[in-house]
Amino acid sequence: MAKYTMIDKETCIACGACGAAAPDIYDYDDEGIAFVKLDDNEGVVEVPEMLHEDMIDAFEGCPTDSIKVAEEPFDGDANKFE
Amino acid sequence: MYKNEQIFDLTIVGGGPTGLFTAFYGGMRQCKVKIIESLPQLGGQLAALYPEKFIYDIAGYPKVRAKEMISALKEQAFQFNPTVCLEERVQHIKKLDDHFEMITDKGIHFSKAIILTAGVGAFEATRLEHPKAATFEGKNLHYFVDDMNKFANQKVVVIGGGDSAVDWALMLESIAEEVHIIHRRDKFRAHEHSVENLRNSNVNMLTPYEVKDLIGSERIEKLVISNSKTQEEKIIDVDAVIVNFGFKSSLGPIKEWGLEIQKGSIVVNSKMETTIPGIYAAGDITTYPGKVKLIAVGFGEAPTAVNNAKAYIDPEAKLQPGHSSSMNLETANLTTTS
Repeated sequence: MAKYTMIDKETCIACGACGAAAPDIYDYDDEGIAFVKLDDNEGVVEVPEMLHEDMIDAFEGCPTDSIKVAEEPFDGDANKFE
Repeated sequence: MYKNEQIFDLTIVGGGPTGLFTAFYGGMRQCKVKIIESLPQLGGQLAALYPEKFIYDIAGYPKVRAKEMISALKEQAFQFNPTVCLEERVQHIKKLDDHFEMITDKGIHFSKAIILTAGVGAFEATRLEHPKAATFEGKNLHYFVDDMNKFANQKVVVIGGGDSAVDWALMLESIAEEVHIIHRRDKFRAHEHSVENLRNSNVNMLTPYEVKDLIGSERIEKLVISNSKTQEEKIIDVDAVIVNFGFKSSLGPIKEWGLEIQKGSIVVNSKMETTIPGIYAAGDITTYPGKVKLIAVGFGEAPTAVNNAKAYIDPEAKLQPGHSSSMNLETANLTTTS
């Protein structure tokens, strides 16, 4: 099943947990706020299957539930499926 | 439910960096101060989420490790002996004649003014998902380790794959009789260096395993774990189980107190007053035009909140406190008795 991911930058607190869990998916901007580096946080590029476990680790570990994961593209809107 | 009849001058909700500095400042202004914190430790995100990270934007410190910052803030705040209530979440706040009643999940507190320094809300450890887990909590299922020595000569199982789990397993190695670490994946999230130390230690690494069952009546006596790939099961005898799955935060009941909230933050004015007279806020939880969410900003908002709260409690008190360099704190009686 295809997976897409996106960070809600409004609620991210720059704690650094996601980059530790899934460094190939998440990176931080100049303020430490996380973003998805696969597609500049648009949530439109499918996450490679070999990274799914890392992504789930990051998703479950995010203290503010700012990491979004869905089976369809987000098209730039982190709250599209909320 | 306990009731502390004493009316404090200031009650600070949230023991992160801003809360600790607020406690110090309140003490310096001779207020009787209480801190209420949801976690079993002070320090907020710095202690719970990134104790090892360096912070570079604290005035006067070219760089400082988060855990060292917290330890310095505690030392500074504790000069005035604030009352600290850990593992308590404030549920309701009620305004009485000239003070507030604060009801937590454990007790009732009274305070003339309140300063909310709760950041992104109360943190809570992510629990082990098992129907029996809650019954063993507070017995031999732990989500925090405050004193390693209580595990002396015990068979301890640590569950989790992050830095805290690995660090705890390594620290327990020389104290406990045996230490196992269980992680559902082969790969640990902890720093490579810590994982290397783990491989070279006597800690029994069980990966990729997940907890299937907890066996015991009063306490967990055995853990049934199953291999995430092969489903093969193992049974381990245990004296204590420590789970570290990280933390979740939520503003929770704060949203119901009648404060004006915008995008999860409390609206304050230039005095750090909320929309309820007597309730102030400082740090990441506040918002106003131009707000910047940084520790350095929280440290600035704390004295503003305290000095205005002091003037609210005692209209005779000066808003401008004078400079600490002129206060001779070294020789002052540092216990608050007011």
